[in-house]
Amino acid sequence: LERPALRALIKVTLFKHELTGKPMVLEGVFVGGSAGKAEGKLLQYHPLSLCNTSEDERQDGDFITIVKLERRVPRCLPLLDKANMALEKGAQAVIFDVSDDDQAAAELRETDSLPRPVILVDAQDAEELMGLVNKNEEANVIIEIKVESKWPQYD
Amino acid sequence: GRIQERQGTVALCPSPCHCEEDGIFIMVDCSEMGLSTVPISLDPLTTYLDLSMNNISEIPPRAFHRLHLLSELRISGNQLRYISSQALQGLHNLKVLMLQNNQLERLPDDAPWDLPNLLSLRLDANLLSEVPPAAFEGVRSLRHLWLDDNSLTEIPVAALDSLPSLQAMTLALNQIKHIPDYAFKNLTALVVLHLHNNHIQSMGSRCFEGLHSLETLDLNYNNLQEFPVAIRTLSKLQELGFHNNNIKAIPERAFVANPQLQTIHFYENPIQLVGKSAFQFLPKLHTLSLNGATQIREFPDLKGTTSLEILTLTRAGLSALPLDLCEQLPRLRVLELSYNQIEDLPSFYHCSSLQELGLQHNQIRRIESSTFKQMTSLKALDLSWNIIERIHPEAFASLFSLIKLDLTENRLSSMPVGGLGGLTHLKLRGNEELFDAFSPDQFPQMRVIEMPYAYQCCVYGTCDGYKTAGQWDTEQSSTTEDLQKRTVSMYPIHGDTHYDPDLEEFQQEIEESKLQTSVHCTPTPGPFRPCDSLLG
Amino acid sequence: QHKQISGVSSGCQQGGCLTCSDYNGCLSCKPRFFMHLERIGMKQIGVCMTSCPPGFYGTRSPERNTCTKCRSECDSCFNKNFCTRCRPGFYLHLGKCQETCPEGLVRSDTQRECV
Repeated sequence: LERPALRALIKVTLFKHELTGKPMVLEGVFVGGSAGKAEGKLLQYHPLSLCNTSEDERQDGDFITIVKLERRVPRCLPLLDKANMALEKGAQAVIFDVSDDDQAAAELRETDSLPRPVILVDAQDAEELMGLVNKNEEANVIIEIKVESKWPQYD
Repeated sequence: GRIQERQGTVALCPSPCHCEEDGIFIMVDCSEMGLSTVPISLDPLTTYLDLSMNNISEIPPRAFHRLHLLSELRISGNQLRYISSQALQGLHNLKVLMLQNNQLERLPDDAPWDLPNLLSLRLDANLLSEVPPAAFEGVRSLRHLWLDDNSLTEIPVAALDSLPSLQAMTLALNQIKHIPDYAFKNLTALVVLHLHNNHIQSMGSRCFEGLHSLETLDLNYNNLQEFPVAIRTLSKLQELGFHNNNIKAIPERAFVANPQLQTIHFYENPIQLVGKSAFQFLPKLHTLSLNGATQIREFPDLKGTTSLEILTLTRAGLSALPLDLCEQLPRLRVLELSYNQIEDLPSFYHCSSLQELGLQHNQIRRIESSTFKQMTSLKALDLSWNIIERIHPEAFASLFSLIKLDLTENRLSSMPVGGLGGLTHLKLRGNEELFDAFSPDQFPQMRVIEMPYAYQCCVYGTCDGYKTAGQWDTEQSSTTEDLQKRTVSMYPIHGDTHYDPDLEEFQQEIEESKLQTSVHCTPTPGPFRPCDSLLG
Repeated sequence: QHKQISGVSSGCQQGGCLTCSDYNGCLSCKPRFFMHLERIGMKQIGVCMTSCPPGFYGTRSPERNTCTKCRSECDSCFNKNFCTRCRPGFYLHLGKCQETCPEGLVRSDTQRECV
């Protein structure tokens, strides 16, 4: 029996609204046994990147990787290896937009060994995030475990 | 258009190109503008001209004859079939010429291009099936030559004789079948030679004579049947690749004449036999991977190969390891010896840098107290699929860095825990005589543990985290109708929480409880794998 | 010395792109074109080119042609270990960019070479 997944809260604040702006709160699902907190600036990676370690594109400061997966792109590596490679390159967390690649969730189900948070997003949440990326709107992201609060039971 | 007025001369920027000043010179970019001919009004002070990605199919004679100062000319990505010598007349100062991604079928022979200062010539991704002997007589200063992704069936030996200054060349992705003796005899300055993705089946034993400066040789993805013994003339060779070929044996003293070798890639070859002395005296080699060489019976003699950090020798016929293995290889970081027939292990005492040790799928029976003594850097130890019956109580005592231990499918009835406090992954599945359960305090960092029996997972609280027995089915069905259809359940729901403490405190509690329930223990107890041990 | 003008506009419009995506730019290139993953601020998009941009070299293979980063001290290179032009402050000799030159050669700042 598998255990129900922990949901992630993704709080996004645009750099230009850092002081005043209310964060945009989106949701996703932790995979690979990686639930936890993380924070960093949002940085897109092309699905063809994260293929070999020689691409030494070093980033300064904490960052969170987002990759929009595409079914049409042959995978150079299994998703788990891509997630690990992104984390090894210094990402505080990895977000995979699986709107166009529903195999991803299954691929990451088999593992429990991811050292830092890896989150799947899709549909409206993914569209909001990728919308920011497309407009190159630099943003800071905070990731937390969503607490499923229940209505108190009145006996 | 005009660029600017300078002492009465006007620099012309041909329309519709973009131009930029470079001091008194100008740089002209006409790329991707749908041009079908070379612009005519080019300024003599042009030093950089980019005509790439247009529809130019011909260069008229003397098209650039006024551009004596032109240093870089890019005409890649057009439809050029032939470029005459007259077309490139006057380019005395040209250093870089890019002609890749055209349809060039032949190069001039009787009157070769006259580019005395050319350093880099790109002819890759064209349709050249041969290079005439005189083709490069006018580019004698050439240092970098790209001829990859063409249709060459032979090494252009005669043409290469004109290039004594050549330092880097690629002939990859052609249809070359054979490398004749003395093919590169004049290329004494050549440092890099790429020949990958050809059809090379045979090589003259003196084919690399003359390549005194060669450091990188890439023979990957060919059809070599024999080990390339011709490399013995390459005393400065540092990087050698012949992976994805058809080589069956590596001879004795194979690299004795290549003491500078740092990397040798030869995977994906049907190598059965390796000479015991093949990899001796390679003081700069840091990685050696041998997989599936089934006829290897003895561990290779690695005398003088003292910098090895990664050694992989899997699927061979090894039955024992040399007692002085660690003394010979003091810098070893990864040792992978799976799928052999190793019975007894030496002491790895001197392997103080070793971080990963793979011994899975062997015939190991016992682990002594000295086997892993003082291996303070060891992080991952894989002993799965052996026949280990007994592990000395002190065997793991000094493995302070160990985080992953795999003892799957052995014959253990007990396991010492001394020294294993740092484990995050422990696998013991398949040890059918091992009935004890470990308490969580013995492994405070544990995240993934596999035990022989489900009841042994109950100490990790995975039993009380589930609802009462009667609700297994409902739990099962409600999970499947869960809103997150595409997501997968990974964590236990705390069933009977009735309170909603303040959010920050509850987040903290989640963090702490995450630690306690984040241990993923299998097999998970269930209706048919109850918590209380069936054996009382 | 030469400011390389990139002759290729980014995104899907340029000639070498085969399949394309709104968010990722080019996903695959036409035969014989190089796929370059270009970083623009927080975005990283695929771009297809006939020659890789400065600081990158091209590797051809039957399946795919890719641009890979040169060593940090190189402005341009033939492969990972062989530079063809150095960054300011480094001097080229037999494919290596170093801060000093071997005995018998001197540093030329205009060419950034040991001569």
